[in-house]
Amino acid sequence: MQVNSPTWGEPDNGAGDRLEAEFGAGVIIRRVEHRGELTLDIPVDRLLDVCGFLRDREGYDLLSDVTVVDYLGYQGEVAGYWGGGSDGRDINHYSHSGKGAVPEAAGPKRFAVSTTLCKVMTVTDGNHRRLRIRVWLDDNETISTLISVYPSADFHEREAFDLMGITFEGHPNLRRILMPDDWGGHPQRKDYPIGGEPVQFSDEV
Amino acid sequence: MALRPDAPHDRPHTVAPTLTPPSGAVVIPPAQVRRSLRSTDLDQVVMTTSLEKIFKMATANSMWPFGFGLACCAMEMIAMISSARYDVARFGSEVVRATPRQSDLMIVSGRVAHKMAEPIRQLYEQMLEPKYVMAMGACSSTGGMFSNYSILQGVDKIVPVDVYVPGCPPRPEAVVEGLMVLQERIKSGIPSASINQETQS
Amino acid sequence: MATTEPRIWPTQKVLQPTPSELYPSSDNPDLLEINLGPNHPSTHGVLRVVTTLDGEIVVGLKCEVGYVHTGIEKNIEQKTYWKAIPYVPRMDYLSFFSGETAFCMATEKALELEVPRRAEWIRVLFQELARLHSHLVFLGTGSVDLGGIALLFYCFRARDEVLDLFEMVCGARMHPRYCQVGGVAEDLPKGFEAVCRKFIPFMRNQLDQYDELIGANPIWLGRTKGVGVLSPEFAMQMGLTGPNLRASGVPYDLRSANGGYGAYRELDYTPVVEQGGDVHARFRVRIEEMRASVDLIEKVLDGMPGGPIISDDRKVVLPPRHELHTSMESLIHHFKLVTEGFTVPAGEVYAPIESARGEFGFHLIADGGPKPWRVRLRSPSLVLLQSLAALCEGVYLADLIAILASIDPVLGDVDR
Repeated sequence: MQVNSPTWGEPDNGAGDRLEAEFGAGVIIRRVEHRGELTLDIPVDRLLDVCGFLRDREGYDLLSDVTVVDYLGYQGEVAGYWGGGSDGRDINHYSHSGKGAVPEAAGPKRFAVSTTLCKVMTVTDGNHRRLRIRVWLDDNETISTLISVYPSADFHEREAFDLMGITFEGHPNLRRILMPDDWGGHPQRKDYPIGGEPVQFSDEV
Repeated sequence: MALRPDAPHDRPHTVAPTLTPPSGAVVIPPAQVRRSLRSTDLDQVVMTTSLEKIFKMATANSMWPFGFGLACCAMEMIAMISSARYDVARFGSEVVRATPRQSDLMIVSGRVAHKMAEPIRQLYEQMLEPKYVMAMGACSSTGGMFSNYSILQGVDKIVPVDVYVPGCPPRPEAVVEGLMVLQERIKSGIPSASINQETQS
Repeated sequence: MATTEPRIWPTQKVLQPTPSELYPSSDNPDLLEINLGPNHPSTHGVLRVVTTLDGEIVVGLKCEVGYVHTGIEKNIEQKTYWKAIPYVPRMDYLSFFSGETAFCMATEKALELEVPRRAEWIRVLFQELARLHSHLVFLGTGSVDLGGIALLFYCFRARDEVLDLFEMVCGARMHPRYCQVGGVAEDLPKGFEAVCRKFIPFMRNQLDQYDELIGANPIWLGRTKGVGVLSPEFAMQMGLTGPNLRASGVPYDLRSANGGYGAYRELDYTPVVEQGGDVHARFRVRIEEMRASVDLIEKVLDGMPGGPIISDDRKVVLPPRHELHTSMESLIHHFKLVTEGFTVPAGEVYAPIESARGEFGFHLIADGGPKPWRVRLRSPSLVLLQSLAALCEGVYLADLIAILASIDPVLGDVDR
């Protein structure tokens, strides 16, 4: 439903159907439609084929965004984020400072790499649609780079590698972009602490 | 007794008798002026001070900032420098140098990431004494709202700071006040923080 | 301005092997590798460009960013949605209100919350003022980069007038935190409309003055015409949006695409397009966009509807203070909202808007709790910097500065 963001256009289920017709029914694991946005879950090894098809045959010529989400410790439909029990807030809860034990992952796999695509110049009916392609990965799995299809994924993938630790196979220049070159770890992961200085007297209740 | 613009140099300077001074002008009778210039009363012609005071006055009134804009505070710093409303030229500071070797005051305006810490230290060391640092904004004073892995919690961890100007971003008037506070510090004899090289690690 | 026959664009190939880096192809042993930045008067923020020069000509280029990486996205994960709003304008600190609006729109989309009409119109007014602010700073610093320092003073003087309007409504010149989830935080004060109406002819006059200063200036034209030509296909491959794309003739603007978003749906905006594709066209697009912004501001003031300025859904928006004295439910809502914050149903939304730099969107993953699980800003400037290397192949160093000025990156946006 379009409350405030009609920039997505109608969900493009037609593109999903044509993808299945071209590559077989297994190419789309799941379709998710939420708030008027269509997300297609794709297996890791079909990513380049799917993106090539979408760019050349469906007209999705703009790569809008490559986002990586770390679902480690995701609680899902929980109305509330109370990190503790009835006797007080647990300062060891991972959402507070990154110290302490981290609960098990609750998604299909730990990382989700989402690519949002948009139709810009190929549109003849004034309907600029968007589509999201999502791939699920585990910690040590790699994903192929999208540079050969969408060159603008370059810096996005470097940032995903730098901050989340996802390795993009075939990326010619996969090195850190935002953190210093000798930084250890991947800061945006959920088991990496937020850092900073502790505020004085914060451990006393 | 100013030279009239069209008076030739080989003729004596005299004020023509028909010339009337503009209304409201204070007219010093020529005799009085001649007498004060020949006075033997030293108080009339000489002002005594110390060399220190002259140096401090000169330093304070001609602080050349090092344009070091990092983030949002840089916009307000540029507004202070290049806007007629805030006019930092009246303090002698409109000469913003791009090179640290010619500047006196490093205004660290914006958040300092760990990656940027080394260039900042290098630039600070390239400045010549006496040098002053102003931490403009909350992020360079204490890290601001960004208490995380990436932002240095205060630029005073790597360079000694003389003046802290709070705000997010501080108004250009606040930065001007910081500059004035720094001028008062200098004129009252407090040495720059670079003397002791004290950083708050 | 628009020609009838299609323009022949030069073929621009995506650089190999890396699209965003230019490697020198000559074996000349006298190549000089120098650093532009991170502290430099002409890089828009702390950008480090490692250039390889053959004499005066750029043969190699690499952008190094991250010198102002703030970890905002990770910080936001620790805060409730309200407390996250002040972080957001500090990313793209030139069109700051666009950032706040985008974040609030993403949260409202996830909540399926409807914003009252007056709040939408007020948001458009301030988005256009933020766009004016961004383009004024662009023009001022851009002309300093090209050597014409006079325009800086004119632009910053007009910028002060724009910031006065922001200050009238919420007290802060920059980063006002005025946009609130559900609408805007405060109503327009009395006297705002009078000041804004006086601002409109002032700004138009200023824009005419800028045109007089640089429009026919032979040095300006010589330095900007034909430099850094960007063909539309190449721009699309490199992911550019916003004024850089519109300077190459592509009329894509999120304020009018699919009808627009927010109050732009009622305001009927036509994108400003130029056909040159060079630095000159990019400057002209932004100057004309400033004119269009002033026209939009006038339209908004003429048609501003009355009504509430924030939604009345008490699960998300604070109740008015006078109700706290009489209604128990309001008191409880107030308490819950201030201590815990509202919860957003789980799911993923991406809400893009048109900022002064291009498509600016928030990818928000909510998990049903009061804090966002993951927030990612789709930064237009990160994408712009990728194309710098390709645009600067074989140009003079001075042209590199002109091209960098014309594509207008903001490093807070790149590094977040």
